[in-house]
Amino acid sequence: MRNFILIIRRYNFFILFLLLQGACAYLLVQNNSYQKEKVVSTSNAFVGRIYAAYSNITDYLKLGITNKALSEENARLRKADSSSFYDKSFRILKMNDTLHKQQYEFITARVINNSVSRINNYITLDKGSLQGIEPDMGVISSNGVVGYVKDVSAHFSTVVSLLHSGFKVSSVVKKNNYFCSTVWNGASPRFANVLDIPIHAQVSIGDTIVTNTFSKLFPSGILIGTVNQIGIKGESFKEIKIRLSTDFQNLSYVYVTRNIMKAEIDTLESKREIVQ
Amino acid sequence: MIGEILINFFRFFLIIFIQVLVLNQIEIGGPINGYFNPYLYVLFLLMLPVNINKPLLLLVSFITGLSIDLFSGTAGMHASACLFIGFIRPYFLNLIAPREGYETTLRLNMQGMGASTFLVYALVLVLIHHLVLFFIESFSFLNFLDLLLHVLTCSIATLLLIVLSQLLTQKNREAIS
Repeated sequence: MRNFILIIRRYNFFILFLLLQGACAYLLVQNNSYQKEKVVSTSNAFVGRIYAAYSNITDYLKLGITNKALSEENARLRKADSSSFYDKSFRILKMNDTLHKQQYEFITARVINNSVSRINNYITLDKGSLQGIEPDMGVISSNGVVGYVKDVSAHFSTVVSLLHSGFKVSSVVKKNNYFCSTVWNGASPRFANVLDIPIHAQVSIGDTIVTNTFSKLFPSGILIGTVNQIGIKGESFKEIKIRLSTDFQNLSYVYVTRNIMKAEIDTLESKREIVQ
Repeated sequence: MIGEILINFFRFFLIIFIQVLVLNQIEIGGPINGYFNPYLYVLFLLMLPVNINKPLLLLVSFITGLSIDLFSGTAGMHASACLFIGFIRPYFLNLIAPREGYETTLRLNMQGMGASTFLVYALVLVLIHHLVLFFIESFSFLNFLDLLLHVLTCSIATLLLIVLSQLLTQKNREAIS
């Protein structure tokens, strides 16, 4: 026992080092094991408040660009609005739409922190559980896919950006419906790779890649990017580089998508697992 | 003694503030592998008093790293890299010590240590910090050569900032006398 204490006293520096490294490893593992770590994350209330104050200032600097983007979007929406169509029908028809049922709702949120320089990038939003945001909701901008919600606190939420090494978006080539998945390549925040496209698929530069119907996070047909470069990887797959439609270096407002029927899909799919 | 503690407290908050609200927000385009931030906050650990006791040094390093982690959502990564600095610093300082040892009043900055010694001191610890940090961050995501190049470019940026901040804050002795 005495020897044991002597050893501890002799090597206390090294032992403390190992202990603290252990704490770090614990935090790292916890943080990676999917939405457990709430303490050390940017959706924590204290950090969130500081970032919100900071973003209040920087938003002024981006007002011009934001205004332009919003007014462009307004113009697009107004174009699609029924009031801007000339009514060609003679009679007034009363429509009771039973064919369409709302599946997605959108919550607007402001980006208060964002990074593009790391290998795993996160975004912090100024809306949280009080505004109805829950983990596993998709996040899009007016230009395309942004990411999905990971952690939520009362007033803030953390989003795993598309610029994250572990995030695969199930997607599809819009032209010919080949399924594929988009994953960031860790290099430039403007480009990503598209995997699993077979070599015989007809894809040319400029084709659009959009989200597919498998995804429970996003509505189908949300723009991801356009094909920029085509190569060949191995025997049977193409290696395609796309230019992302979302400008991650200049995000200020995003929409959080809420899939109203997600619970229904999940319960249905969990039944399938039990049978297997 | 109290003054020393106060100065370090002040420096801690100032450097974390600069790192989180200024440097983490700007992304510098590197030659490969996209973008990176310089990590100036390492300077705080470099400038801790020379006679600080070793366990305390580890704890301070851990807390510094954790504060940065808190703001960048990377639990444990910076803390781990900082711990390495805290662990190696005393041994490295012994290695480059002058023959008669350090005076307890010596300040670990460019003026106190002399430019060349300080540069070697900063370069080695910054390299170790960045190597550990990027290694943990990438964890076999990138190949090793890319990682080294990334470490190197980012270290140079950090070192430039460190030297710049030293030049800005050093007191001009001739002007005083």
